[in-house]
Amino acid sequence: MGFLIACPNCGFRNAYEFKFGGEVKNEPGHGAGLRKWRHYFYFNKNVAGVQEEWWYHYPCQTWVIVTRDTATNEVVGSPRLM
Amino acid sequence: MGRKSLLWKFTEPRSTYDVVVIGGGLHGLAAAYYLAKDQKVKRVAVLERKHFGYGGSSRNTEVYRVNQRAPEILPLYLLSRNLWLQLSAELEWNVMIWEKGMIGLAHSDAGLNAIRMRHETQTRMGIENYMLTPEELKKLVPALDVSDKAAIPIVGGYFNPPGGQVRHDAAVWGFLKGCYKEGVDLCAGTEVTGINVTEGKITGVDTNKGSISCPVVHMAPGGYSSEVARLAHLDLPVMTMPLQAMVTECVKPFLDHVVVSEGYFCYVQQSIKGDLIMGAHLDPWQSYKLYNTYEFAQEQAYCMLQLFPDIAHLRLMRSWSGLCDMTVDGAPIMGATEVENLFIDAGWGYFGFKSSPACGKTMAEFIASGRCPDLIKFLGIDRFYEGRMIPEVYIVRT
Repeated sequence: MGFLIACPNCGFRNAYEFKFGGEVKNEPGHGAGLRKWRHYFYFNKNVAGVQEEWWYHYPCQTWVIVTRDTATNEVVGSPRLM
Repeated sequence: MGRKSLLWKFTEPRSTYDVVVIGGGLHGLAAAYYLAKDQKVKRVAVLERKHFGYGGSSRNTEVYRVNQRAPEILPLYLLSRNLWLQLSAELEWNVMIWEKGMIGLAHSDAGLNAIRMRHETQTRMGIENYMLTPEELKKLVPALDVSDKAAIPIVGGYFNPPGGQVRHDAAVWGFLKGCYKEGVDLCAGTEVTGINVTEGKITGVDTNKGSISCPVVHMAPGGYSSEVARLAHLDLPVMTMPLQAMVTECVKPFLDHVVVSEGYFCYVQQSIKGDLIMGAHLDPWQSYKLYNTYEFAQEQAYCMLQLFPDIAHLRLMRSWSGLCDMTVDGAPIMGATEVENLFIDAGWGYFGFKSSPACGKTMAEFIASGRCPDLIKFLGIDRFYEGRMIPEVYIVRT
């Protein structure tokens, strides 16, 4: 087992039940140029440490924001619903 | 009589160099080696945080091949394969290359079409490749189950002769030997804690063993590319993911090729020692932790048994994982950065091992001459801003 994520609906579930949706980023505004949007799409902070990230739980079809340490895979605090 | 002189020695970093290479894996060592040997750069240092070859260089599955998809990048892999073939003689060190050839399997019409497309690309570029029927596959690989009993039966495949295996540790040791012979300083246990930039130009690096002043820095940090690039305030279009692989116990030789299934997303080869090296599963989330999961072993064993039912009773000996810094298009990031004289060779994902000699050679040429070699001119970081993707994502499911 990789690690567990506490789904707000279903409780602690195996990470393989989830889809990883990448780190939480600030979306550029409507007036932003193509370069800014491409930076937003393709570039990541890719931190070896604690970060906020998107996860989708397939069984209950819910997106949650999880705070996780990517160096240890420990989930910090409880995931929150959007 | 035993050998009296050392093959290489590690040193503490000096206070000034002409070029500093960050990362003591195959890419960093190869770049330093070719900088010193081909380009005659005098004072080169390789700084490695842990010990040499600790990362992806010792956590791969030892495959090299020239059957990638994008025509932009194939010549680079071809150069790499040719360099692997020369390196044993050049380094006077046996890297145990075994050009056994790749066997690829298709399990659907879509898979067959993908293989056919690559076959056309390779044939036009002068790379030997053959399309095979299931019967021909069975002749080449007798242990393969080509019947319709498998969950997804085999409908065809290819044989790509210029591919095979290089002993990965021997490759690291060979480059260490070569670097030492060419006068490169090999600094193990030296962690770079800062990259110093003044007015958009590199002036040096800070390490846990003091500051080093140098006009040129080359980053070849493997899975930790984002963390190293951040020292120079650069973001990279990569995400670091763990790739898992495993080996079985040793058995008599029965598998003379690297067998890749693009339907089951797995590959296997038998080493000279006799164990089956199998991979690979890319965990579809960002992680810097090295771990193995039961889910991986289960899925891998299932896929292998669909292809080779006779290996059912083999025991697993070891499993491991390595870090892959994946770009969004699956192709690497090589070349200059927006900081003057700061170069990067990263984003290799799971293609890093096979390409290392060619990357070292081309990056050394770029760094020394200031002109980007044609082989890597498509691979700069600018392509993400310009929307010039190189579609290279296949085989390992993400």
